Amino acid sequence: MITNVRYKKETRTLKDETEETITIGVLAEFDGVEICVPIDEANRHYQEILEWVAEGNTITDNGSGE
Amino acid sequence: MAISKIPTRAFTQQGINFRNLIINGDMSIAQRGTSFSSTGDVYVLDRFKLDYVGSPSVRYTVSQDTDTPTGQSFAKSMKFDVTTAEVSQSETTRLWTRIESQNLQMLKYGTSNAETLSLSFWVKSNLTGTFIFWLYQEDSTRSISKSYTISSANTWEKKTITIDADTSGQINNDNGAGLRVVWFLTADQSTYGSSSLQTSWGSYNATAVATGQTNVGSSTSNEFYITGIQLEVGTSASDFEFLPYDVNLQRCLRYFEICEGGKEFYLAGASNDKDYVQYSVKKRTSASVTKISSAENCASGVSVDVGSRDASITGRVVATNAFATGDNKYFEAKFSADAEL
Repeated sequence: MITNVRYKKETRTLKDETEETITIGVLAEFDGVEICVPIDEANRHYQEILEWVAEGNTITDNGSGE
Repeated sequence: MAISKIPTRAFTQQGINFRNLIINGDMSIAQRGTSFSSTGDVYVLDRFKLDYVGSPSVRYTVSQDTDTPTGQSFAKSMKFDVTTAEVSQSETTRLWTRIESQNLQMLKYGTSNAETLSLSFWVKSNLTGTFIFWLYQEDSTRSISKSYTISSANTWEKKTITIDADTSGQINNDNGAGLRVVWFLTADQSTYGSSSLQTSWGSYNATAVATGQTNVGSSTSNEFYITGIQLEVGTSASDFEFLPYDVNLQRCLRYFEICEGGKEFYLAGASNDKDYVQYSVKKRTSASVTKISSAENCASGVSVDVGSRDASITGRVVATNAFATGDNKYFEAKFSADAEL
């Protein structure tokens, strides 16, 4: 079972002192075990998340947070 | 001695030409552990998965075992010990491994030159009867099933199966799954066995996949062992191709690896500190990461993530809300990187 699915983001400062926030992956619990999953359709965990989304679920987006 | 003087047989007498399409067929590599009890799908010994279809009540302890065929040089086998029985065989459980598509191009499936395959393996059980092996093409959803018989209880037997060439199939030349190689343990006969077994390549027909499968899950007294799995091109099975342990491990690392990373340092101020960990083998694709254990004396916690670099090459250990200053600070984590098929 997949639960607690949210984007994993991080903010970094660029040379011009502006900041950018990038999404590096998806955090999710698979049968209670937290896994950081890359956004890569060849990854088996990401394939499962895409199936989970196709069932009508949504990945939580906490803005620039986790 | 000049290189030209080294006889050719010096390179070939061990017979290693990577003819075995199965990785870890001798069950020697066990990075995830040597014993598994699970209520759902779980990868067990390297490259192999115990697959639960639906919600079977049968349960197994799967382990790496030293019970092996006598005189065959195998040191390990995979053992399935039934811990919760399901007498009715109303659900399905199976052992599988998947082979990467780009390693299967020599099969020439979908052409008139398609190759025949030979499968060989050693098996032992307290049960006798008919068991089902199934091969499934992931890209073209075609499949073929073959039955084999365990004749003598509690006796290692070598099984050899010939698999016809498939002139109509298709295996993409990429890093995805090309073939799913499956041994059934239990098979719901209403779903997987209501038609005659499909013993020639054809479109996937669930009802003809595992007809006649003996129920390994029928009793907690049941055990099922397997080792020495070899799938090779050709019409006859050759002796098992033993690889050096390090070579076998190296091949497994493309799909799964246990890593460790972190830092020891003088921490000048509060921040989130991070350490990229380079994998020893580039992964098949971007890897998922899971923390196994961690320790620190300078932060509110340690996590692992895929980082912002190429996640097929590196993972990352992160010290969250690092706060301490002073000497001898550290954070570290052990984690798995998973790029399995």
